[in-house]
Amino acid sequence: MSNNRVSRRQFLGYTLTGVGGFMAAGMLMPMVRFAVDPILQQHDAGDYVLTDKAVADITEEPVRVDFTYEQVDAWYTSEVTNSAWVYKEGDKLIALSPVCKHLGCTVNWGGDPENPTQFFCPCHAGRYEKNGQNIAGTPPLGPLDEYQVQEQDGFVAIGAVRENTLV
Amino acid sequence: MHFNSKDIDLYAGQKDYVDTAVVPLIELDLTDTGMKASAGASEYLQSLTVILEKQFKGRILLLPPISYARAADRSQLGQQLKKELSETAFKHVFYLTTDPKWRAVEELDNVLWLPAIPTGDMDQSFKKSVMEDQLRQVLPLFTKEWTHHS
Ligand code: FES
Repeated sequence: MSNNRVSRRQFLGYTLTGVGGFMAAGMLMPMVRFAVDPILQQHDAGDYVLTDKAVADITEEPVRVDFTYEQVDAWYTSEVTNSAWVYKEGDKLIALSPVCKHLGCTVNWGGDPENPTQFFCPCHAGRYEKNGQNIAGTPPLGPLDEYQVQEQDGFVAIGAVRENTLV
Repeated sequence: MHFNSKDIDLYAGQKDYVDTAVVPLIELDLTDTGMKASAGASEYLQSLTVILEKQFKGRILLLPPISYARAADRSQLGQQLKKELSETAFKHVFYLTTDPKWRAVEELDNVLWLPAIPTGDMDQSFKKSVMEDQLRQVLPLFTKEWTHHS
């Protein structure tokens, strides 16, 4: 019968493990949350940012459209302005990210006089087709990312960034 | 790239591509009369270098601003910075400043001196267009350096 009894020492042992476990969890949980939160935040940015660019003004020629939103980085909130290259394909709006897939410089439409109908990266002469397809033989290894884009009351609204769906 | 541990990890593997260092030089004037202008100049230079970094992220490393007292010996500071940077893999170094005293310093090459524009009291969108205008003046100096000395 005494075998089934929890001895004082065992009891203390159990309790301490329990308390220690709780404490560890208490300490770890917020850390995990901090680590995971920023990742989650990016994804729930599913809402669109309205720009001041009228859809009627968009043609087949890519133009730079800026959009601004608030970004919270730990305790610091800042306004971030990003831009997209927006054009029409038929009636469909297309918005490409200007961030070069090589090392992250900003690409320009027609930035290289010799290739006026391509995107050009001034850093290491990376080039992309109009649909974002990277040109073989230049440093970038993948196509430009694409933004979700829609029309809101006649204006361009930019959504989340995703992998290029056009190439 | 920025001078933080994440970007430096990336930099370490891409030294051939990230071949340009950008060093902002900022004079601290903490007198009652000079402080506001000094703060404004610092704000201006830092916004400019941040948008410059965004444009050329894959080719430049933006160092944190070097801030020094009014009485600082520019030529000594210049020599020390130059020495530190000469021991790196950077092929190009640009110093950006609004401090006119650097114009007399011969130790450093590629000092881009820009008159500070007090953007602090402007509204956001005006400020943005002013800064972009400034950026447009600086960009060609970089591309020129890159095409002539690479
Ligand atoms: S960052 Fe665009 S080509 Fe290298």
